[in-house]
Amino acid sequence: MSNHGKKYGMLIDLDKCTGCGSCMVACMAENNVPFKKDESNKLVSITWMRVYRLTNGKPFPDTEICYLPRPCMQCEGEHGHSPCVSVCPAVATDYDFSTGIVSQIPTRCFGCRYCMAACPYHARYFNWYDPIWPKGMKESLSPHVSPRMRGVVEKCTFCFHRYQQAMEKAYYESREELEENEYQTACTQACPAGAIIFGDLNNPDHTVTRVVGPDDAHGGRPKNPAVFRLLERLGTNPKVYYTSTREWVRRQADNDAARGENAGRH
Amino acid sequence: MKIDRRSFLSLAAGVAAGTALTPLPLKLTDDLSIWTQTFRYMPNEVPVPPDGAVSVATSVCSLCPGGCGISVRKIDNRAVKIEGRQGYPVNNGGICTLGLAGLQLLYGPWRVQEPLKKKEGGFEKISWDQALSEISGRLNDLRRNGKSPSVAAITGAGQNTTGRLLQRFLTVFGSPHFIRIPAVDDSLAFAAGRMLGTAGVPAFDFENSSYVLSFGSGLLDGWGSPVRMFQAHSRWKENGATLVQVEARLSNTAAKADVWVPVKPGTEATLALGLAHVIVRDGLHDPAIEAAGKAFDAFRELLKSRYAPGAVARQTGVEEPKIEKLARDFARSPRPVAVCGKGAGQDPVESLEAMAVLALNALAGGFNRSGGVRINAAPDYIHWPEPEGSAAQKSNGTRLDVHRLPELINGGAQPPVQALFVMEANPLFTLHGAPALAGAVDKIPLVVSLSSYMDETAAAADYVLPVHAYLERYEDVLITAGLKEPLVGLSRPVVKPKFGSRHAGDVLIDLARAMGDDVAAAFPWENFEDCLKQTMADKWDVLSDQGYLAETGPEIPAGGMNFAALVESAELQPPGQGENGAWPLTLIPYDSMRLWGGHIGTPPFVLKTVADTVLKQADVFVEVNPVTAERYHLADGRPAFLETPAGKARVRVHVTDGIAPDVIAMPRGLGHAAYDDYLAEKGVNINALIGPVEDPVSGLDVAWGVKAKLTTA
Amino acid sequence: MDSALIPEGVKRCPLPLFILGVLAVGAVLLWGVYAMLLCWIKGLNQTNMNDYYGFALWIWADLAVIALGGGAFFTGLLRYLVGKDELKNIINFAVVIGFICYSSALLILAIDIGQPLRGWFIFWHANVHSMLTEVAFCLSCYFAVLTIEFVPLVLEQRQLNKVTFFHHLGHNMHEIMAVFAATGAFLSFFHQGSLGGVAGVLYGRPFAFRESLLVWPSTFFLFTWSAAACGPCFTILVTKITEAITRKKLVGDPAIHTLAKISGWMILTYIMAKTIDTVYWALVTAPEGGFTLGQFYSHNAFYGYWILIAEVIVGGLIPALILISEKGRNNPRMLVLAAVLACVGISINRWVMVLQVMAVPVMPFDTWQLYIPSWQEVATTILPVAYGVLLIAFAHRYLPVFPQEKELNP
Repeated sequence: MSNHGKKYGMLIDLDKCTGCGSCMVACMAENNVPFKKDESNKLVSITWMRVYRLTNGKPFPDTEICYLPRPCMQCEGEHGHSPCVSVCPAVATDYDFSTGIVSQIPTRCFGCRYCMAACPYHARYFNWYDPIWPKGMKESLSPHVSPRMRGVVEKCTFCFHRYQQAMEKAYYESREELEENEYQTACTQACPAGAIIFGDLNNPDHTVTRVVGPDDAHGGRPKNPAVFRLLERLGTNPKVYYTSTREWVRRQADNDAARGENAGRH
Repeated sequence: MKIDRRSFLSLAAGVAAGTALTPLPLKLTDDLSIWTQTFRYMPNEVPVPPDGAVSVATSVCSLCPGGCGISVRKIDNRAVKIEGRQGYPVNNGGICTLGLAGLQLLYGPWRVQEPLKKKEGGFEKISWDQALSEISGRLNDLRRNGKSPSVAAITGAGQNTTGRLLQRFLTVFGSPHFIRIPAVDDSLAFAAGRMLGTAGVPAFDFENSSYVLSFGSGLLDGWGSPVRMFQAHSRWKENGATLVQVEARLSNTAAKADVWVPVKPGTEATLALGLAHVIVRDGLHDPAIEAAGKAFDAFRELLKSRYAPGAVARQTGVEEPKIEKLARDFARSPRPVAVCGKGAGQDPVESLEAMAVLALNALAGGFNRSGGVRINAAPDYIHWPEPEGSAAQKSNGTRLDVHRLPELINGGAQPPVQALFVMEANPLFTLHGAPALAGAVDKIPLVVSLSSYMDETAAAADYVLPVHAYLERYEDVLITAGLKEPLVGLSRPVVKPKFGSRHAGDVLIDLARAMGDDVAAAFPWENFEDCLKQTMADKWDVLSDQGYLAETGPEIPAGGMNFAALVESAELQPPGQGENGAWPLTLIPYDSMRLWGGHIGTPPFVLKTVADTVLKQADVFVEVNPVTAERYHLADGRPAFLETPAGKARVRVHVTDGIAPDVIAMPRGLGHAAYDDYLAEKGVNINALIGPVEDPVSGLDVAWGVKAKLTTA
Repeated sequence: MDSALIPEGVKRCPLPLFILGVLAVGAVLLWGVYAMLLCWIKGLNQTNMNDYYGFALWIWADLAVIALGGGAFFTGLLRYLVGKDELKNIINFAVVIGFICYSSALLILAIDIGQPLRGWFIFWHANVHSMLTEVAFCLSCYFAVLTIEFVPLVLEQRQLNKVTFFHHLGHNMHEIMAVFAATGAFLSFFHQGSLGGVAGVLYGRPFAFRESLLVWPSTFFLFTWSAAACGPCFTILVTKITEAITRKKLVGDPAIHTLAKISGWMILTYIMAKTIDTVYWALVTAPEGGFTLGQFYSHNAFYGYWILIAEVIVGGLIPALILISEKGRNNPRMLVLAAVLACVGISINRWVMVLQVMAVPVMPFDTWQLYIPSWQEVATTILPVAYGVLLIAFAHRYLPVFPQEKELNP
């Protein structure tokens, strides 16, 4: 096991997700995400984890809502050629083949935003403003994730610092492998509904792998028909999977020109 | 040597060229880029959080009635992250938005940092000694003048040690006016008391239910103990249980429900009794209830005469076949449960509704059954000796109802309340008719707020006494809200107090001491911690080690349910408000996990999760059905005036199919005037637009919706 | 007053009038500089860009000026490598315009990035897979080449030329200019192409993504081709504008017509290639990503099929047909019309490939994002225009940019 890389992935059960927003707040608190006095302009509001609100578009009383949490998809593309990594001119974001995580180095980033243009999931956020913490609030900042300066891009890293900490602990205990529960993202841990499952897609014993059944021959496409990914057709090969029993939700996961699906939705 | 112009210029050029060849420019360029990582010494300097020893402290969250266990990660003495506590019986690792953002409440700028005294145009800082001696002096004056009963106290803390200390303080002082902010538990306990003869809070075993019939309860919008509800919901998804949400708005609970039943607001009790009609008519009810219950025939008669599906359909807007089907599905499901308490359950409901829901559970044989209801006796672990001396005798008279405060105070020349204590509550924001209450409170000569935060009530007080924030103190957290078995959790200091605050219990003990005499004698403890340990006595060790105590009392049987109380309530129930041309719409508030409408303000992180269809800059949106929007010429995103008999406000329109026609909805928790500029002056406080409505049976304020109109601005 | 600085034998407007003009344009320039400083000091929150719309007005301007500045490399290529000798009469001006365009592009990039003081990371920590890295390297190198091409022109200034060293330096640089022209053409080919690649490689953005030829997406070649095709039109257009303002004929018709004819054929072939590319994209590439062509041009308030028609027909086919017909390009009005249309066409193309890319929703539950630039963005975008006008004004007044001026204005 130890000599082949890990590939961390996530499965979000949209039937269980209630849209409460805990994953968003857990992420902000874990990762020192800044906040402004007015965050109502969602186009400049940094939320590494963002919960989208999908609707079936039917009139009252047949209206239905589904919440869809969207972290960084940690796209693998083809062999690590994720949409954003290949375009970054300064290697400020990189695909880590030992974990499958797309890293982000804010101090390397000089803010060209090309990666944001490349990402179809809008998972990347730019620091348009100086991060300012009100008096006293700096005390709650975690030293494990550096606060970012204005003018750089930031995004979800699957709480990579937690992986590092878990690996350090394992190293001190002379272990090479992590237990499934040793490394979990902040959102997974916080989700009060238990809607998020996180683990190593290369480890057949991990729950996420058992449920998803990633098909390595096809970029990790789920073998489980109840599981799907966002924008499967684009070949981004994300490592965030979703499941829902609702047909209309599954249909909104991807565009399907051939069937005329979603052609008029935009 | 004489330096001429030519040689000087040559020298300068040489130096410049020479410097350019050294590593200096490169070094400076590099330094400059490193500087951009923090912008050091600039106003926009990016902090570098200091590293240190990592530790984890466990405690219990007391920000909402949920009482989740929390693990707080610390770096040296700084708390840096709150997480759900694994294995804790309430939440088992899960945690909600507010709990996660708790550090913003601890370290935020809205904390009151030292005792404050109102003076012209603001507050002045005073010492604790001065504050306590001035307040005790004024209280003793009242007492000397025989006005002891004119002192009142409002608290959200309730029945835990601190709450009971406040109650004791009032009792020994000689006032009956200890007022807890009422919640749905009070309505349920009242209903249970009338129907079962024992006042206890009904608790629901949601986890094991097969069919959950919710009358507008925001089970996934903050009801009860929110994290426990999310976990129960996930279990329903796993084991195929059905959730039915009766509500006019497509709340998150309705969105996750298997069946959404939009009902006219205020007719929930009618629908519940309509279902009961079908169940009893078809003989689907538990025969034991009919056999053992009192006045079951009168109940049957009531159902027959007034709650036939046709009549119920007309009143509720739910079609007849649907009523029939709901009733049958509910009654035939193996472990059904019915529940009420709208939104987050922080408001009392009509007695008839509470009784109807208890009756439905009884008809389904749900009492003391897995996946059903049980009535829990109020936890009883605080046993203090009765206060001695004169003080104990004086505490009599009728208790004030908080929603009556304005009319009482405004009614007479001499306000019946001369001094008001508010502890861990923000009635000037959270109660219906908040502006009227603010006006009344303004007339009270002495208002003392014991608060961690500069909330609306603190801002209106004469004295603000800063109490420790929830992460700085010991507290027994009594968890009854929506839990199937009551629990006492232990909140303990996670960090050292950051400011000059004190424990609310200590403030009360000190105040009693400053007042002297028998009041002082009734508070023999050295300090709050001492008081808590003595109170818990031999339970302290378990509480301290485990972090909680299960306080399950004896089972209360439902067999002898007295339906007469329900029949009486139905008679007393005022007829529903008819159509009214001036107020064609019904405005209902809604609760959400992303906006907190209680006495704790929504922290910045949580506010960040609020959608831009709820709040845009300073404007709150009112949800409007497309049909309603067309009828009143309202366009999506446009400003509008919202008017109710209680007030008028400028809002924006959000046209959505997720709400019934003629009903409009607005979130609670916005429209703060106090706190700080992250929260203040955003949106409208819906409690200012809704006046209190007194339940004819219980006397509690049961307002939820209000008649309204909406016009384009 | 400044007659000693003015090239010999030519007439210039009175100095006060010149200064008045300079002041007017200078005011616009200062406005732009103020906006630029705001962006640097306060940050990019001064713009209306956002997380959905990370590229905005000035990035379009950046791509557009680089495309329009393509006249410099392509004229140089024709003059020095192909041997179109008559183009020697316009090559100087083409170089000046190119210099302006490329220096502006670099300035815009310096304003556009969130951390200008770290901008050099693109060279230091270069990611060779990124199209932007290729752009940065080639752009900078080509700007250096343009500077080298520009220097001899400056050295020919009447007073500077009196310095023997400068005189010889200028002369010698002229002699080896073919080498630089060749280098420039090579560099230009790559950076124009990599600019096209910037959008074309975005496989997460089906509106931008194009399939690869060799290792490059088709837009790589289309961008180079279109810049070579339309750049000369911009050179012609600016020449005509300068002639109109100075009320003098500055460049002889043979040079203009040669350039116009070549440009016409280039545009025509480009438009054919572009059409083939578009059809393949509409029928194959986009549907593979789950999209129909109609999705890209409907359900929003701005982007419709009109933009495709404006780009390909009005800004492509029509100017191409005018320029390839002798009658068309010999008619001064038609010539200018064609030049304007070609410049508009290529500008629309760059707009579409940058801004419409950002506007089109990709996730089915996303919505169209339209964006309106802030005044700071507009000012910083106009800044290079003002700067260009000033540089041309000074170059025309004091440098021997137009070798035929004396002969055409006896």
